[in-house]
Amino acid sequence: MNLLEVISDGFADVRAHAGRTALQTLGVVLGVASVVGTMGMMAGERAQAMKYWQETGGVLKMMVYPQPATVVRATARQQASRGLTVDDIEAIRARVPGFELIEPSVRRRELVRTARATKTYRVTGTTPGYADLNELIIGEGRFITDSDLTASESVCVLGADRAREFFGTEDALGKQIRIGGNLFRVGGVLRYREFYWNRTDTWNALGWINELIVVPITAMQARDVGAGSRKVDEIGLRLASVEAHTEAAPALKRLLLARHGVEDFRIFDRKDRIAQMEQQGQVYNFTFTACGIISLLVGGIVVANILMASFTERMREVGVRKALGAKGWHIAVQFLVESAIVTGLGGVVGLVLGIGFVHAIASLLDQLAVLTPAMVVAALLSASSVGLFFGFFPAVKAARLDPVVALRYE
Amino acid sequence: MSTPLIELSGLWKTYDTGEVAVDALRGIDLVVERGDYLAIMGPSGSGKSTLMHIIGCLDSPTKGSYRLDGAEVGALSSGRLAELRNRFIGFVFQNFNLLPRASLLRNVELPLLYGGMGGSERTSKALQMLDQVGLADRAKHRPSQLSGGQRQRAAIARALVNEPALLLADEPTGNLDQTTGNEVMDIFDALNGIGQTVIIVTHDPHIAAHAKRIVRIVDGRVATDEARAA
Repeated sequence: MNLLEVISDGFADVRAHAGRTALQTLGVVLGVASVVGTMGMMAGERAQAMKYWQETGGVLKMMVYPQPATVVRATARQQASRGLTVDDIEAIRARVPGFELIEPSVRRRELVRTARATKTYRVTGTTPGYADLNELIIGEGRFITDSDLTASESVCVLGADRAREFFGTEDALGKQIRIGGNLFRVGGVLRYREFYWNRTDTWNALGWINELIVVPITAMQARDVGAGSRKVDEIGLRLASVEAHTEAAPALKRLLLARHGVEDFRIFDRKDRIAQMEQQGQVYNFTFTACGIISLLVGGIVVANILMASFTERMREVGVRKALGAKGWHIAVQFLVESAIVTGLGGVVGLVLGIGFVHAIASLLDQLAVLTPAMVVAALLSASSVGLFFGFFPAVKAARLDPVVALRYE
Repeated sequence: MSTPLIELSGLWKTYDTGEVAVDALRGIDLVVERGDYLAIMGPSGSGKSTLMHIIGCLDSPTKGSYRLDGAEVGALSSGRLAELRNRFIGFVFQNFNLLPRASLLRNVELPLLYGGMGGSERTSKALQMLDQVGLADRAKHRPSQLSGGQRQRAAIARALVNEPALLLADEPTGNLDQTTGNEVMDIFDALNGIGQTVIIVTHDPHIAAHAKRIVRIVDGRVATDEARAA
């Protein structure tokens, strides 16, 4: 088949102009590598954020906190509102479908006395679902159970840091500590957790888990008096599904507003927050993408420059070849072989370089390196678009060149 | 009587430069028989280059008829013209026009490649051709490693490799000193001696003196057409 022969002649021609081909390839390599690199960094940042959300309860988590009302309480009902109470929990459970977890918690600063120290710590009174909601992992023993709750059991679960603080390397399980004067038995210890946004970050975003002292909410409420005993400091919820969000989120707010008569609470909605983040992220995505595209253009300009620099030589060669009997397609194939090598080689090397760059940045910052099929597609697309622009069009032009004009070209 | 190799009648070439139309050729009548040895002469601007381009199928006439080997080529497509150049015509240029980055062998192989000949046959034929012009040992060299005379011999090998009916040379000695120029002309003479049709476009009377017939072009017309006494 003659086409193969013509293609192989194209390869011989590329070998003869190795320097020129190498420079053009370098242009494509730089362009593709920067596109892949920026995409990888963007995906990495995003994955890091998603990982954090996932490790702390997922996107379906919602939180309700009490908050001082911003309006003057005018009506009797507004004045009567005590903020979030266990009655709100019952109401939500009864009237807003779509939540699989509804877990109240109460926080108090209490004097904790152990064999080693006596100090004030924050103590959380909550329900069994709290562990599930916050993705707590039990290291030893167990979490608060339903029977603890009904019996107002004097049992506590410690975060890893607290357990070490109170008992050192000794086994904490079954030991007793005194919380606000009452003895509590250690029923479980949570596994140590950490999450750093990047290597230079010294703040453990999951550190709060290690510092937990958890008791049954009933055990804590039993010590309060009157209406106070019904107050909660936080309601954690988890939607049953992403679809449930549409109905449940506004229904939750409506219900609480109706019950309190005033907005003395704040709902923290992760799904909304993520949507918000993604919107903000789009600005960054746009900037990064623009950088990638500019680099790609620069790569293309490198290719174009080299094409221009060798234009005179090429025109004469096309003239000579045509005089010897080359048809348009012979010339076109020769040009296309060159641009295929430039873009193929440039695309692959650029992709590898870009992936390397993403990994290097990720390991430098101790973040996730994310490589998606979309990036490979983007690399191939950008390489072949450069190839099309700077390979295909010159090929067509050269193929159509009038041999007399080409031969005379100086 | 056999068909002439080339038969031009009433050939016009008009270049439309936009504002003014320039008539480069104004009615050329010319017949070239097989085995002829023709020198086309004329001052610059006479139209001899245009005539050469049309005879060489690099360009098409505006008006009139050009029969190559009995077939009208005046209105053929560029693809068909390329085939005719490949099969019928071997070009030799003033500045050799060898591809500078390719070896002599690859240069000589090109017409065979475009003619559709396969790899090994092509290489052996090209080598054989280089051997005939005394450059077999230089097959792997690039043109820049050769002298002017050697380059022109390589170009002649390339022109002849496809056994063209017509060898068409444009000032073939223009870039050579007198001695090497004479060597090249000796090759043309010898080729014509074994029946090769040769057309040389030149302004040099000494070169033209090698031909059997001298055609002078003035202002786009054939001014004189005379056979030289042998």
